[in-house]
Amino acid sequence: MRSAFVKDILRSIRGSLGRFLAIMGIVALGCGFYAGLQMCGPDMRADADAFYDGANLWDIRLISTLGFGDEDVERVRAVEGVEHLMPSLTCDAMARLGTEQVAVRISSLDVDAAEASHDDGLYAVASDDENYLNRPRLVEGRWPSAKGECVISADVPRDDFGIGDTIELLYGTTELDDLLAIDELEVVGTVTSANYPYTGSFGSTTLGSGMIDQYLFVAPSSLAEDAPYTEIYLTVEGASEELSESKAYEEVVNATKNRLEDLQGEFSAARQAELKADAQEQLDEKWDEYYDEKAKVDKELADAWAELTDAAEQIADGERELADGEAQYQDGLAQYETERRNAYKKLADAEAEIDANQATLDEKKKEWQKGADQLREGRAAYKKGEDELLGQLGAKSASEAREMLEGSAQQLDDGISQIEEGIAQIEAAPAQAQAAIDQLTAAIAEAQAAIETCDEGIAVADETIASLQEQLAQIPAKEELETAKAQLTGAIAAIETLGEEATSEQLAQLEQLKGQLAQVEGALEGRAQLEEGIAQAKAGKQQAEAGKAQAEAGLAQAQAGLEQAQVALAQAQQAQEQLPGLRTQLDELKAQRAQVDEGLAGLDELADAKRTLDESQAELDAGKAQLDDGQAKLDAGRKTLAASRRTAESELAKAKAQLDDAAAELADARGQLADAREQYADGLAEYDDGKAEAEEEFSDALDQLNDAQREIDEIELPDVYALDRTQSEGAATYHADAGRIDSIADVFPFIFFLVAALVALTTMTRMVDDDRVLIGTYKALGYGTSTIASKYLVYAGVAGVAGATIGILALSQVLPFIVTSAYSIIYTIPLHPFPLPVSPGIALMSGGLGVGVTLLATWGAVVSSLREVPATLMLPRAPVAGKRILLERVRPIWQRLSFTWKVTCRNLFRYKRRFLMTVIGISGCAALLLVGFGLHDSIWDIIDRQYGPIIHFDTTIGLDDNAIELDVRRAIDYLESTGEVGGIVRVQNENMQAGAAGTDETIRVNTVIPRDASAMAEVITFKNRVSGKPIELTDDSVVITEKLALKYGLSVGDAITLFDQDDVGNAVGDGHELTVTGVAENYVGNVVYVGRDAWRQVDASTPVFSTVYATTTPDAAIRKGITDELHDMEGVSTVIFSDETINMYRNMLSVVDMIVVVLIVSAAALAYIVLYNLTNINIGERIREIASLKVLGFTRTEVQAYIFREIGILAVMGDALGMVLGIFLERFVVTTAEVDYVMFGRSIHPPSFFYAFALTLVFTGLVILSLRHKLDRVDMVESLKSID
Amino acid sequence: MSFVEFINVRKTYQMGSVEVHAVDGMDFVIERGEFVVIVGPSGAGKTTVLNMLGGMDAPTSGTIMLDGQKVSALGERELTQYRRHDIGFVFQFYNLVQNLTALENVELASQICANPLPADEVLAQVGLSDRMDNFPSQLSGGEQQRVAIARALAKNPKLLLCDEPTGALDYVTGKQILKLLQDTCRETGHTVAIVTHNSAFTQIADRVIEVREGKASRVLTNAHPADALTVEW
Repeated sequence: MRSAFVKDILRSIRGSLGRFLAIMGIVALGCGFYAGLQMCGPDMRADADAFYDGANLWDIRLISTLGFGDEDVERVRAVEGVEHLMPSLTCDAMARLGTEQVAVRISSLDVDAAEASHDDGLYAVASDDENYLNRPRLVEGRWPSAKGECVISADVPRDDFGIGDTIELLYGTTELDDLLAIDELEVVGTVTSANYPYTGSFGSTTLGSGMIDQYLFVAPSSLAEDAPYTEIYLTVEGASEELSESKAYEEVVNATKNRLEDLQGEFSAARQAELKADAQEQLDEKWDEYYDEKAKVDKELADAWAELTDAAEQIADGERELADGEAQYQDGLAQYETERRNAYKKLADAEAEIDANQATLDEKKKEWQKGADQLREGRAAYKKGEDELLGQLGAKSASEAREMLEGSAQQLDDGISQIEEGIAQIEAAPAQAQAAIDQLTAAIAEAQAAIETCDEGIAVADETIASLQEQLAQIPAKEELETAKAQLTGAIAAIETLGEEATSEQLAQLEQLKGQLAQVEGALEGRAQLEEGIAQAKAGKQQAEAGKAQAEAGLAQAQAGLEQAQVALAQAQQAQEQLPGLRTQLDELKAQRAQVDEGLAGLDELADAKRTLDESQAELDAGKAQLDDGQAKLDAGRKTLAASRRTAESELAKAKAQLDDAAAELADARGQLADAREQYADGLAEYDDGKAEAEEEFSDALDQLNDAQREIDEIELPDVYALDRTQSEGAATYHADAGRIDSIADVFPFIFFLVAALVALTTMTRMVDDDRVLIGTYKALGYGTSTIASKYLVYAGVAGVAGATIGILALSQVLPFIVTSAYSIIYTIPLHPFPLPVSPGIALMSGGLGVGVTLLATWGAVVSSLREVPATLMLPRAPVAGKRILLERVRPIWQRLSFTWKVTCRNLFRYKRRFLMTVIGISGCAALLLVGFGLHDSIWDIIDRQYGPIIHFDTTIGLDDNAIELDVRRAIDYLESTGEVGGIVRVQNENMQAGAAGTDETIRVNTVIPRDASAMAEVITFKNRVSGKPIELTDDSVVITEKLALKYGLSVGDAITLFDQDDVGNAVGDGHELTVTGVAENYVGNVVYVGRDAWRQVDASTPVFSTVYATTTPDAAIRKGITDELHDMEGVSTVIFSDETINMYRNMLSVVDMIVVVLIVSAAALAYIVLYNLTNINIGERIREIASLKVLGFTRTEVQAYIFREIGILAVMGDALGMVLGIFLERFVVTTAEVDYVMFGRSIHPPSFFYAFALTLVFTGLVILSLRHKLDRVDMVESLKSID
Repeated sequence: MSFVEFINVRKTYQMGSVEVHAVDGMDFVIERGEFVVIVGPSGAGKTTVLNMLGGMDAPTSGTIMLDGQKVSALGERELTQYRRHDIGFVFQFYNLVQNLTALENVELASQICANPLPADEVLAQVGLSDRMDNFPSQLSGGEQQRVAIARALAKNPKLLLCDEPTGALDYVTGKQILKLLQDTCRETGHTVAIVTHNSAFTQIADRVIEVREGKASRVLTNAHPADALTVEW
């Protein structure tokens, strides 16, 4: 019976192999994926551990800022827990490897031990020397045995540089000469070292780009003689038994590390004392030497000085004597000159006086002569004038002439006045006559006008009278009027007397009468007026007539006057003709009168002239006597002067001869003295030179000694660091990467398990439903519930266990292999040979989870059916009722749908479980795909968005720390001169550590201080990633990159602290707090951009700005030319083209790309399994329906559309949901996989959505294609079968 | 020429190494408008006849004619068209689409053929005018079978084929269904063929074809077939 049941199970497996395989496959995929990914991390760590242990890698590394001596080594060896130790010397230097300048790390190598070691070609390097640590494995060539030889890393191979080439060491972090005996190294081999597992960077340094690009091992013979050890590597007892960097390992190592750290103070003090003592001893010897030498030189100098002093005294005496002689001579000479000058002066004065007197006398003589001449002329003129005048007058003497002249003058005056009177009368007469004529003519005109006026007045009066009389004639006669008036008055009175009694008629009459009376009275008045007018007019006429008569009389009188006046005028005009004659007479008389006056004046003049001439003659005679006297005196003076001149000249000549003798003696003496002085000066100069030289030498020596002393005094307590592997960049990076894989391994398989559970549940439900009748039959036969259930549990269990086993075995090899080989691109840690270890814990957990989930799903499927009683089980399960769906309420849409669409829509919601399973399953796959593509985007965005959109420059030229402005300028000038380089910007680069409030952790940052903040925008785009807003960079700005801001949760306005860093990359000092003014999008590295003003808070001195950013032509040959030229320049240390950096990142990132491929492939497999299984079940459940449709005459296409449309819609829905899930999942994975040094892209590109979406649909399509034939195979006869 | 002709039709299945002759030289004819009952015990080959007549299966040899069309010569694609336009099929288990209402189930069939009858009219004809908007699960078995008949009739087929139409129904309901089919034949002039193992049905048929061991062992015609409601079994 039991066996029959087992047989049934076996047969059911065989009979439904597809179903069995589906469960097996999904479990295999889920468990395998989980186990495989989970094992990646441990495998990586195990590989690393094997590698480290094989190389006998240090557990603790001691570094001292002052190095270590042999005593220190022994001191460390004595510490508990220290197993083996190896002191070593390591230093960083910039070196030229072929055409490139790179930062290298040089370490000493125990060559004897290395040569004695032998490796297994993979992990282990065996050696008898247990103190030989960090054993490098020789890959090619030989060990560096001689001085000046080295081996380099085999892990960063270069085509143009290798064995046989020479490395030139340029400069180091410290003075290289103190540590090394050579500055050139020949490469003799290549090695790989467990100490440098990470090829991306062999460590950080303060040189160059901040990363070690190459490491070298040299023989001890290449080290400087007194070079100290810079570090001590040591292993810890019991550490190698533990997995490197595991918790147990950390505990073992930390115990010893703590002990070492406790002893740190002791080590430091001992080292300081030792160094001081050694140095002081050496210095003291030097001091002694200095003092001896100084005493000797001082004595020599003193002797020389005494000799010089004697000579100087002698010279002084000679000079004094000479000076005396000179003075005497000068006195004599002066006296002679004075006397000579005086004598000559007296003679000259006398001569001058005589000459002056002579000149005056001559002048006077000339004047006298002139006076005499004038007098003579005057007399002649007078005589001539007198003769002329008298001749004219015809007089004999002057007095006679005067009498004649005065008489004729009287006669002439009378004649003149008579004639003048006559002329005046004649001239006035015509004018008077004319005036009378004019007056009379005017009177005549006046009179005529008056007559006319009067005539007019008469005419007017006549007219007026006529018209008035006419008017009068028209008015009735006065009497008539009077009579009428009286009658009327009477009538009126009669009526008025009636008073009140008057009738109305009478009253009217009265009024009429009164009117008539008024008219009569008016006429009377008018008559009177007219009569008066006539009278007036008549009087006017009379007046006018009288006026006319008067005027006519006046006129006649005037006309008579006029005739008289005209006669008078004619007479006056006749008299005019006499006038010219009269005038001529007058002129003649007047001329005669003037002649008379002239004659009188001439007589007066003559008299005056006679008097003057007489006076002048007297004066001239007196002057002549004086002149003759003066001339005599002068002649006597001249004679005396000539005698005195002769005497003086002879005396002076005698004195001059005496003086010339004295001068010759003095010149001799002077010559002797000059010679003596010259000799002395030479001697003195010699002495001074000698003395100065000696003093300078001693001063220098003293300075040196003092400096040395100061240095010794200033030897500080060295800092001693104990570092473990977490502080070794390579090991730590690898460990972190392994951890990241762990994180990813924790997320992804979850999806696989979820989907596996769904698939198992669906499949088993279907199986149980298929077996309803069978279950009923078993029940009816008396099998217990658990026994029946066990059939399905066993079925599912077998499928699960088989799947889990296969999946785990396969994927625990494949996935770790893919991951570790991906990482082997950037790590030197060797790949584990197959088979990779299978971690039993993970395998069991994974398998357990997978099988457990499947069994649970099966139990869920079975348990409901088993609850039913056998009778109902024998009956077909009632079909799920059809239901109306929400869409039907939207009539316009619903009515337009065909029935197949209606069925599709209703079916979607009818089988809720299938709906959920399919949607969730497909969304999981779509999400995985999206994560895969999204990861790819995020990773490549690091480069694509960093270089180009953000960093525009492609060349970085770094100058060393000692570079000066001139060096930078020279480099820039060269760059500009090439014409191939543009966009040159200068900055200062500082490798620093950054931290923030609330955490002790610091992170390495590159601090960039632009020289010209505004120019930075040309080479780097600063903008906010999310908003796209540009960020302004000014001299006061502190802009940090996004990843840095994320790490510390910083935003604008927060403070960031910058620390200086020591040689091993630890933050030192208190740091400088700066306020963040912007957070800029950035993907590679952590950078703090500090404006030069803001930088003053960190460092007050102005930086050199020794880093140059530029854009260079991509032409490789030109670039190489520029690089070579720059490297030859003073101060230039690095020339880096971004392309190299980009390539390095591409290498690093291709690792993660491999994982992306794994993800995509797994997702594809998962998608296929899920879709195939679900669709298969779907078809299986609806065979009858399909057959019926076929019988109804549905074509093949219609039947396929009917079934697959549903699958398609579910796929699209699941796909869409998967996109949403994928976004969240991708974000999680990205943030997990990120390292501190880079920020992944934060967005999934639209094409990735498209690929993920489309690929899912493609898988759906493939599944549909592969299941089409299954639909075709559905037999129509199925429709005739009973429902069982 | 008769409406339906079976001339020496054979159908042979290969069951492993054994050849099974399900239909072995079958000959019969059906005239237009007849109510035909094909009767025989289980395994006699009547289902095979039904399959071949319904275009679900092709004979190994022989000729099947329907209304002058040589069905036995049709290919896969033509057979689909044949089922679609010429045949109305009523299943033993109704085979309604659960997710469509009664009306929609009828329309499902009428939608795909050339000259459909109005679905609501057909449903009214089978007495379901007030259940048109119900889903199959809301209907009784008899009602479901009526929907199935309506679905077959709506296609206005040349031949209405019924496979044990009362097989899943109780006695009373079964008779009502028979009655419906008989009335349909009488009133609409449709040719109706019923396949059954129940020989009681022979009374109401115009023509009875008895099938035995793959052959039409006897063909009878009833001059006066009984009313379906009077049949007892």
